[in-house]
Amino acid sequence: MGHDLALLIPEIIILLTVVVALIAEMLRFPRTVLTVTIIGLLLATAQTLPLLGVDTGVFGGTFRVDMLSVWAKLILLPATVLSLLLARSELAGSDREGTVYILVCLVSLASVLLAGAGDSMLLVLGILLSGLASFALVACPRNDIATEAAMKFFVFASVTTSVMIFGLSYWFGGTGSTLFSELATLQTKPVIAVIGLMAVIIGLGYKASLVPFHFWAPDAYEGAPLSIAAYLSVVPKIGAIMAFAQIVRDIPMVTAWSLIIAVVAVLTMTYGYLAALVQNNVVRLLAYSSIAQAGYFLLGVVAVGASPLALKSLIVFAAAYAAMNLGAFAVVMQAGRTLETFYGIGRKNPALGVAMVVFLLSLAGIPPLAGFVGKFLLFGAAIDAGFLWLTVVAILNSVLSLAVYLRIVVPMYQRRRDSGLSAAAADIKSINDPVTAPAPLITLVWIIALLSTLGIGLAAQLLLGQLG
Amino acid sequence: MNLIAIAILAPLSMALLTMLLRRQPAALALLGAAAGLLASLGLLTDAFNGRGSELILPGLPDMPLRLVATPLTALLSTLVAVVCSLVMVYAVGYMKKDNEKVRFFATLLLFASAMQTLVLAGDWILLLSAWELIGLSSYLLIGFWYSKPGVKTAATRAFLVTRSADLGLYIATFILVTSAGSTDIAATLDTRGGLAVAAGLLLLIAAMGKSAQTPLHDWLQRAMAGPTPVSALLHSATLVAAGAILLIRTAPMLPPETLLVIGIVGGVTTVVTGLMALGESDLKRMLAASTSSQYGLMLVAVGAGVPMAALLHLIAHAAIKSSLFLGAGVFQHSRDSTVLDKLRGIGRDRPKIFSGFVLAALALAGVPPLSGFFSKDAIIAASMNSANIWILLPFALAGTLLTGSYMARALRLLWQGNGKSRSVDGLAWMGAGLAGLVFLAIILGAAFPAVESLLGARLPENSQVQFLPVVLGLSAALCGLALGWFVPVHRLLGPLLPWSRQGFAIAGGFDNLIIRPVFFIARTCEKLERLLYESVLATGRAGLRLGQAVRLNDEQGIDGIIFSFVRCMVNLGGKARTLQSGLIHKELAISIVASAMILVFMLITLLVYQ
Repeated sequence: MGHDLALLIPEIIILLTVVVALIAEMLRFPRTVLTVTIIGLLLATAQTLPLLGVDTGVFGGTFRVDMLSVWAKLILLPATVLSLLLARSELAGSDREGTVYILVCLVSLASVLLAGAGDSMLLVLGILLSGLASFALVACPRNDIATEAAMKFFVFASVTTSVMIFGLSYWFGGTGSTLFSELATLQTKPVIAVIGLMAVIIGLGYKASLVPFHFWAPDAYEGAPLSIAAYLSVVPKIGAIMAFAQIVRDIPMVTAWSLIIAVVAVLTMTYGYLAALVQNNVVRLLAYSSIAQAGYFLLGVVAVGASPLALKSLIVFAAAYAAMNLGAFAVVMQAGRTLETFYGIGRKNPALGVAMVVFLLSLAGIPPLAGFVGKFLLFGAAIDAGFLWLTVVAILNSVLSLAVYLRIVVPMYQRRRDSGLSAAAADIKSINDPVTAPAPLITLVWIIALLSTLGIGLAAQLLLGQLG
Repeated sequence: MNLIAIAILAPLSMALLTMLLRRQPAALALLGAAAGLLASLGLLTDAFNGRGSELILPGLPDMPLRLVATPLTALLSTLVAVVCSLVMVYAVGYMKKDNEKVRFFATLLLFASAMQTLVLAGDWILLLSAWELIGLSSYLLIGFWYSKPGVKTAATRAFLVTRSADLGLYIATFILVTSAGSTDIAATLDTRGGLAVAAGLLLLIAAMGKSAQTPLHDWLQRAMAGPTPVSALLHSATLVAAGAILLIRTAPMLPPETLLVIGIVGGVTTVVTGLMALGESDLKRMLAASTSSQYGLMLVAVGAGVPMAALLHLIAHAAIKSSLFLGAGVFQHSRDSTVLDKLRGIGRDRPKIFSGFVLAALALAGVPPLSGFFSKDAIIAASMNSANIWILLPFALAGTLLTGSYMARALRLLWQGNGKSRSVDGLAWMGAGLAGLVFLAIILGAAFPAVESLLGARLPENSQVQFLPVVLGLSAALCGLALGWFVPVHRLLGPLLPWSRQGFAIAGGFDNLIIRPVFFIARTCEKLERLLYESVLATGRAGLRLGQAVRLNDEQGIDGIIFSFVRCMVNLGGKARTLQSGLIHKELAISIVASAMILVFMLITLLVYQ
């Protein structure tokens, strides 16, 4: 038991951090809350490092401490810190500031739990915890858009989660256990296995915003504060994908589960990029882009069990995705929410422009950036697992994605269009009111993200050796 | 100040001064020539007193530039200075009506200076430079009346022929300097063996070019297009003499094989150009051919191993030939022509000039006691003493015979017949120059023993039959004179006459053998070039067409497909957006329907699996 707790130290630290932060929030010390949460998260990250290489289960296999969950912590907790910095620069001074930090910490805790889920109940716990905290985060601006988005999010989450719990009860009935490791016994009961899997796809599909369970995502990202949208597009999504990977490791091959997931992957990628192609709002564009990126994650999930590369590729792409997506959102926070505001940014602020170009090209998967390395490994894993057609579709979608991202890049290096549009642009600008003041925290975040994006791309070989 | 420097710098500085002041060119020229003459005479006096002098100038590392005054070079320097001075005097009158006296006298002075450098040069580098300089200045002088038809061609031809032959001098210099390790001419004369043969033959080529030896004799006659004083200078002591001087100076080095080749070249030249002179219808061109012929005789003497005889003939010829040219110049001004037919009877109109001309002509023919008699005698004696007597003696005698013939013919034509002369300006100046040179032509023979003693070389004495060369030479000369005076040229030459007038051009001569092929090659190259150019242009045009076609294909083909694809994608995107209605019940319904479809699909696959 003591040994189990030792393996859970990072999660325990986060929980304690949340408790301390709550106390500070009650005393109305929002800056203390921030300090406590950041220190706590960094401490948890540091405590995770000794666990590298461990592969075991805690509490009889309920929670897994393996490569996937350890690396998930190493990626998600620093990403959370960066998100907190973004949130600080956006929400500093508002009365919900401290609460937001605490909720973010809770969502991260839930995501980390999901990434190591070895049990149906832990899966449900993670999704509910993550969901509830997320609704509150989306609703925090207290305006109509945010409230509506949070409301939709909530309804969607309620429906999908209840369907999932209903489906999971079949698995419990079939195996007599909530442990995923017992799923192998469903070899003889394929119908039960299929129903349960369907439930999991619905539940995690909503969490990871996979098509056709993504409807909440664009509205929520648009309604929420930008920093929260950035956070939601990274941390809970990666957590859900990791959970997916944990589950499919144990599902018997009686079902064509990998084929189904491949179909969902194709739908997600294609739909995400197609919808992104017609967006004029950069936030919505990035929302659809993050939906599409989830489709790429599924390439790794499909290959789990069939290719030794699958888990590694998932981890590398998760790290890359966290860096480049957070970076892109940070730049949007500094530049503005609409495409109009991006005109000429590359000339006015060359460093910011270069950073944005790097993030977007990395998202599109251009070598030698991080996104390329991640996608390259994912494609390799998928081909290894026999899904050549899926890889081809993914590569075609990468071409489509370039069109999507260049829609932002090209205006950055053009002069502002004629005056006919500039009046409308000025209106939009006044409505959206981008952070025009110098924002050192945002700059810090995108610089860190930029270095990571470049570094992961260059150090991929080293990283792979570390993972191996 | 060293006398050597004065001999060279006096004409040169006056040339520069003339160019700067642009007035009184004649006076400056005379001044420069006189100063140079005094310096040269000083050098000669020193040489007689057994004092040589040397001027070493800094040049290449370890290869200083040397100017030396040995008896030979001092003598040549004096010769050059004397002829130059007298020709200058003559030129003052001859050029009286010309508008470009400044250019003329400046170039003439440059020429004199370059020639002095050439004869006084003590190392190969300086010699080469001077060699080139006289080539350049002779080009300028031959082409002096550049606006007259044919003058430019003549100057260019002279320059090109001598320049081509100069290649021999360059290679020879290279061989000699690298083998001896020094640029000193005296040091390189110790070269022996195969290198000496090669260097000697190469020097011969250079000398053939400059001294207009067959087959490179063609340019000299054409060079008559220049002013007459220039011709006088070129033919007597400067440009043409340079070839012979080169061989005379390098004679100690030349091995027997080379000497034989030199003798044969000289012999052939003396006969061929002698025949040309005999058949010539233009006085100046006749004199030019005669020059080649006389230098051929000098080469025979060199070939016979007696450069001393060649030197004597060179000196005598310098005085004689310049006299003849100066006389011809007066005739030219009187009748505005040098064609012999138009000059008929000129001798009666200009008796004083003509008498000088006759004396010089007789001297050239070798009539005693004029200077030419002694030098010709020396050459014939040399050829008789040579190992190759049966090759060289006939050449020498034929040359003498021909000399007498063509000079007698010219004298007859100038004396007989009628013509109308006009008065000539500057006759006094011209007469003075002419008189000085004719005087020299008459009495120089008396100075030959002094020259021999100065150079320390005795002419060979034929111990057995001492009078034989004299008899042979004199009879040949008198025979020639008689033939030339009494027998018309068409009877004398017969079928050879037309051929000799073409300069004995074999198969059309240089025009056909070299110039036409060269032009043909040049035109072919030009055609090829044009073809290449056209094809490059055509390639470019084809590339452009291809580019346009590709662009068209791009714009209407590939781009069209891509753009329609893009439009299709954007439309799809629009459709995808419509799914996002914002109405949660619709969206949920889509999710549920999709889930149901997935479930059904999975169940179907289950059935298939089972």
